Amino acid sequence: MDNESPNGLASVWKEQPVQRAEVSLDQLRLRSRKLDRRVWWRNLREYAASVAVIGTFGYYIWRFPAPMVRLGCALVVAGVLFMVHSLHTRGAARTVPTEMAFRSCLEFHREQLERQRDLLRGVWRWYLLPLVPGMAVFLFGLLLWTLEQPHAPAHTRAIVITFFLTAVACGLVFVGIGKLNQWAARKLQREIDALDALGRES
Amino acid sequence: METESNPAGTSRQDELYEEAASAFGPPLERLARGYEADPTRRRDLLQEVHLALWQSLASFDGRCSLRTWVYRVAHNVATSHMIRDRRFNARTLVGLDEVDPPSTEQDGERLVDQHLALEKLVRLIHQLAPVDRQVILSYLEGLDAVSIAEITGISPGNVATKIHRIKNVLARRFHDGGRHGQ
Repeated sequence: MDNESPNGLASVWKEQPVQRAEVSLDQLRLRSRKLDRRVWWRNLREYAASVAVIGTFGYYIWRFPAPMVRLGCALVVAGVLFMVHSLHTRGAARTVPTEMAFRSCLEFHREQLERQRDLLRGVWRWYLLPLVPGMAVFLFGLLLWTLEQPHAPAHTRAIVITFFLTAVACGLVFVGIGKLNQWAARKLQREIDALDALGRES
Repeated sequence: METESNPAGTSRQDELYEEAASAFGPPLERLARGYEADPTRRRDLLQEVHLALWQSLASFDGRCSLRTWVYRVAHNVATSHMIRDRRFNARTLVGLDEVDPPSTEQDGERLVDQHLALEKLVRLIHQLAPVDRQVILSYLEGLDAVSIAEITGISPGNVATKIHRIKNVLARRFHDGGRHGQ
């Protein structure tokens, strides 16, 4: 057989030895249940973390007397609730196997890239931004409250500098994450455009 | 969703899966090889394909042939696997026109050994972007342009053009023993 010609290579490809991976129906059912459990635990972990944050800031609302600190806490709780809602919506959009059969490879590939792109574009908006107002008001309220304490005047400058340095560091991290995500999203958009061009040719 | 069981205790979904696994078991293994080089990850990918196939067959309504259904699910699972894979993002995948011949110590020699030819072919496939990979793998499985078009979503004319390019690339890369461009 001529292994070098395209037809010969097709034969080489089809005649390659394969180890038949026997996958029984019981194994598939077990794997399916395991997969569902993994998703359930992942969701539970995310929700548990949210409950912990809400509990902590809920306690602060009750604990701190300063109105601005309490307002900041309430905004953080609202931000976390928004995040939980977004997570729930995102989780519900998980691809189900039937969709893989109803869509051509081109459509499916495009959807996958689009989903990743939107996720990258949105992370900053729905994962970080909702916490910014609450954290800013909370920290600023905490600063004012600290300065009002009897021992504060001796440390005023140090407290203010620490507060601003923390705020700037947080801001830089947020902006950095946002820029990186935008860069990755643009890269995916180029792939989507290439698929679109191929689809138009079809 | 078809979930009715027959007297033997298997549902229509189970029967369809067994039929598909029996008919397309070896092609699915070869398909997994075309997407994943690492044997352990390839085994995982193959199991993922089988699981998705079984789950999807609960909704099989005959709108396309079982073969098209199986290949669509398999390619789409494998493409998702590629997208998820971090290495995919770190490595540039190319189209058929840009693919480089894998550099091997055997370059320049005639590839009379099937094993070497296969290894070289697999390395070439692993350089390809998903769409070209779907077409070349389907072509190697002996599918015609119309069937490939139905699976991939590219027009039959476009598939035919791609197959023509594939043949050229294969003939050039393998007949020249990798001395393309000389």
